[in-house]
Order: sequence, then structure tokens, then C-alpha cells
Amino acid sequence: MSPALAHTPNFVGWRALILHRPHQNVDALTAQCARIGIAAEQAWPTLENRDAMRDFNVLLIDADMGHDEQFPWAPGLAPMPMIALIGSEAPGRIAWTIGQGADAQLLKPIGSAGLYSALVVASQGFLRRTAQTEEIARLKDQLAQRQLVAEATAILMLKHNCDAGTAYNHLRKTAMAERRSIEKAAAGIIANLDTDGRTNVTNGR
Amino acid sequence: MNTYPIGVLFSRSGGYSRPAEQGYFGALAAVADINADETYPFQLEAHHADPKGNADRYAELCRDLIRQTGAQHIVGCTTSWSRKEVIPVVEKLDALLWYPCVYEGFEVSENLVYIAACANQQLVPLLDYIVPRFGGRGFLTGANYIWGWETNRIARDVLTRSGGSVLGERYVPIGDDDIDHLIEEIREKRPDFILNNLIGNSSYAFLAAYQALGKEDPAFLPENCPVVSCNLCENETTRLGTIAEGQYTVSSYFRALASEENDRFAARMKAENPEQVADAFFVQAYAAVVMIADAIRRTGSDEAQRVLEAVREHETTTPLGSLRVDPATNHVNLHAHIGRTRADGDFEIVHHCPKAIAPDPFLTATPLDRLYGGTAADARQLRVVR
Repeated sequence: MSPALAHTPNFVGWRALILHRPHQNVDALTAQCARIGIAAEQAWPTLENRDAMRDFNVLLIDADMGHDEQFPWAPGLAPMPMIALIGSEAPGRIAWTIGQGADAQLLKPIGSAGLYSALVVASQGFLRRTAQTEEIARLKDQLAQRQLVAEATAILMLKHNCDAGTAYNHLRKTAMAERRSIEKAAAGIIANLDTDGRTNVTNGR
Repeated sequence: MNTYPIGVLFSRSGGYSRPAEQGYFGALAAVADINADETYPFQLEAHHADPKGNADRYAELCRDLIRQTGAQHIVGCTTSWSRKEVIPVVEKLDALLWYPCVYEGFEVSENLVYIAACANQQLVPLLDYIVPRFGGRGFLTGANYIWGWETNRIARDVLTRSGGSVLGERYVPIGDDDIDHLIEEIREKRPDFILNNLIGNSSYAFLAAYQALGKEDPAFLPENCPVVSCNLCENETTRLGTIAEGQYTVSSYFRALASEENDRFAARMKAENPEQVADAFFVQAYAAVVMIADAIRRTGSDEAQRVLEAVREHETTTPLGSLRVDPATNHVNLHAHIGRTRADGDFEIVHHCPKAIAPDPFLTATPLDRLYGGTAADARQLRVVR
């Protein structure tokens, strides 16, 4: 069991938006929501602007009649967990819900069960996806700054007349002393060298 | 005079036959009482099907009961496993299953009426009683299916959020009585109490072995480290000799509950069949049939949805008190009394729940951090070896 699920999930106070034409499936979902402590609203055919969507904790979308233009964001970038309501299990429709980033599915007709599992799965999936997106952005950023580290190491090799290992070690210690990342420390060393250069030139005049 | 068929779907053999037979006898007793009562202008006809403790038989037998006898109402199922098997059948055929047994919650079907306590009506009040008195270090045991797993998961959630802890968690297959490894682990871990979610023969074997352990080491006597259950009732404890003596059970009903109405009910049940013990499993099934009959009398029809509407709108007088089905959850308000087993197997009521508790099957309105404060640790300090 993941640590996040050791606790009994609680959705009390959540707001759900059901993007589906008025239908008894929507009524069944609204009733299921109420039992779990969630206030549900229905909308069709499109969502309001992104800001108005901020108040909702989960979005339920219609796999049968949904399309990309319904959403104020690009496919896959929904800022909340999404559950797809699937009637016809056609590969194209399922692919569309995946493209939208639906984390869980509910099959129509909606009966008296299923929403609770879908909510637990979708909210966990969304949390995991958000955390992974942030982690990937951080790693990409680190990767982009590799050149800074290489450049700073070279500067330190020349300055202290040492080998690459010693120079990198020096860079690492500087970063630790300054309590910042190696990439930031490297950027600092490069900036200092530029400043030093200009100062020297001025002094020379 | 009209006759309405009622399906009765309980196992009379298998690994949990004692609580299951209670359901069977309870439903039949209520049918006999309704038929003898002239204020009901109809007769009920009970049709019993016996799945013999095999979960895979329930769906098929339920379908047969509905299709072949025309029953709109099935009173039945003891384990959650069998109930989950039956749900698709009653939903498809638009019948009603009246489920009369304590269970773990996290379910609301439009075609079920739950005359049964979910976790906020049994486990949570049980822990509220036990932890401040004995301490919050629990050892969790259970039958190896959804009832044991989920009840123990909720217990773990409550204990770890409320200053307690879980020292061990072990499961036994339904009906299995090989529990020596469990006793060894408890001897080693030395918890403050044991939560017993075992059922039937496993539970009896465990209680016997645990009593033997208590004779060897007083730390495991019930006054020091009790076994607490949500589903161990009189029909079992009165037939088990003294092995459950001193242990605790939470229940919506005890035979020993003092009230004029219950005294009358208990006396009558005993007079009819002195061997027969009516416990919560019996009374909940009995109450289900009374509610069905009362609704048929009101609506003049046994049609499932009309009966459901009637029991949602009106209170029905039952041995469990006056019951009305909550339209949002199809559950009922129930008391959570706590009893301690006496030497004769009956219960001494140690906590009389003053007010029926509203059902909260998804635990959305029940705080799971129970604010026992320092009491869990304090209780342990106070009771060290008496």
C-alpha cells in the first residue's frame, strides 16, 4: 500500500464538475457524490474559463461525446484529476480520454457504485502525475545546466592548476558552503570570472 | 388473502454456519410472527436457498429465488464476500437484498437495504471504549477476505492517528483453525488488546488458545489484554463454554439489554425454542422481515421500489428499536452497545449506547483521529500487571 493510501481517503468538501449533457447518469453520479461528501455540478457543452475551474477538485468528462474544444486547456494539461465516463468502449474514444489525461474510468450506465474507487484512483494518479511533472522539470533544468558545471570546472582547473576531479570537488564544496545547488555555484564562478576580467582591464588602463 | 414470497438466502453449513443460521432462524421467526398477526391482511411465504458457505453459489441461488418464486425481497448473506456476489443479480432484476449483518462499509447499492452496522456504528465506538481503558497498542486479526482486511485497515488508521499503534496484523482463511502461529506472535509482541475479526471456527479456535495463553501468563488475561470483536455474538459465546469469558463485543443488540420490549421478545423466543439463542444476527434478519411486511401493509404491494420508498418514509417498530431507512445510504441508525462475555456466554452490558448512531458508510462524517489524548499511553501505565 502506498503511504498516501494508509489513511482512509476523505473527499468531504470537494466539488465535482460533471461535463455531460443532463441525463440520468448525471443524476446517479450526483447522488453518489453526495454520499461521499462531494457537491457536484453539471455543465455542458463547454467549461468556463480556466479561472472559474479553480474551485473544482475533480472533473468528470464524457468519453462518448467529448472533444478537445470543450476545455480551456490543451489536451493532457488539466489542472485537476479527471474521470472519464465511458459508454461505447471504442478504441478511439478511450484513446481520446487518455489523451485528455483521464486518470480513471467509470462505465455507463452509472449504477450505485464505482465512483468511490474512481475518485481514489484518479486523485492518487493526479498527485503522482503532478509530482512526476515537477520532478522531470527539475531534472531537465539540471541537465540544461550541465554546461555551466563543465565550464566552472575548467575555470577552477586553470585557476588552481589542478586536475578535473580536484576542481569538481572544489566546486561541490563551494556549493555546500553557499548552501545552493552545484549548478548555481557554477554559474556564480563563471559570473565572477567575467567581472574579474573587466576589472583587470580597467585597472590596466 | 394475498401471499407474498420472501427469499431467504443463508448458509446452514460451512465455515460460518452459526451466525448464518441465526439469520435463517431470525427471518423464519419473523415470517411466522407476521403470518400469525391478523393486522397484516396477507401471508408471507419464505423460500429458503442454502449456499452451504460457498461464496460462488450465492448469485445463482439468488437469481433462482427471484425468478422461480417471484420474490421481490431477499433476506440474506452473512459475509461481505457473498453480498458482493449477489449485488449484480438484485440490481439487474430490480429486487431488494436485505442484508442483516455487521460489515465494513464503503458500499451503497440502490437495491440493498442494510439492516447492519457499518464501521462508524461498530468498530469506531468499540475502539473509543477499549483504547482509553486498556491502551492503544493493538494486534489485529481477521478472516482472509474483505471484512477482515478493511476492518483492520480502518482500525490501523484510527489507532495510528490517535496516539496508538499496531503491533501485528495476521489473517486466517475462513474456517481455518490453525492459529498457533498467531498466539506465538501475540505472546512475543505483548499488545494492549487484540481486535478479533476472525469468523466462525477460526474465531473459536483462537479464543480457546488465547484463554490457554492467559492461564500461562496473566498478562494475557482478559482484564489485562482483552480480545475485542464486532461480530462475536450470543449464539456462539453461549455454546463455547467459558473460552470467551471476559472478552468484549460491540453490537446493535444484546439479549441481555434491559428493556420491557426486549425482555418480552427474548422471553418469547426462548419459550418457543429453548435451544435457540436469538442474537444480533437473528434480530437484524427478524427486523428486516418486519420492515418488509410493514411496508407491504402500507403500500398494498411487494414491488421492490415501492417498499423501499415506504421504509424510507416511515419508521417501523422492530426489536432493534424504531427503524427508518436513510434515503441517502439505504442504511439505518443503530446503537453500538458494548458487552463483556460472562461465564455462561451471555453478555454484561458495560456500555449502554444512549442514542442510535447515524450510518456513515464512507466514513466522511466520522473523525478518525479520535483525540484519545494521552489516555492510550496512560491506560497502559495504570494497568501494568494487576
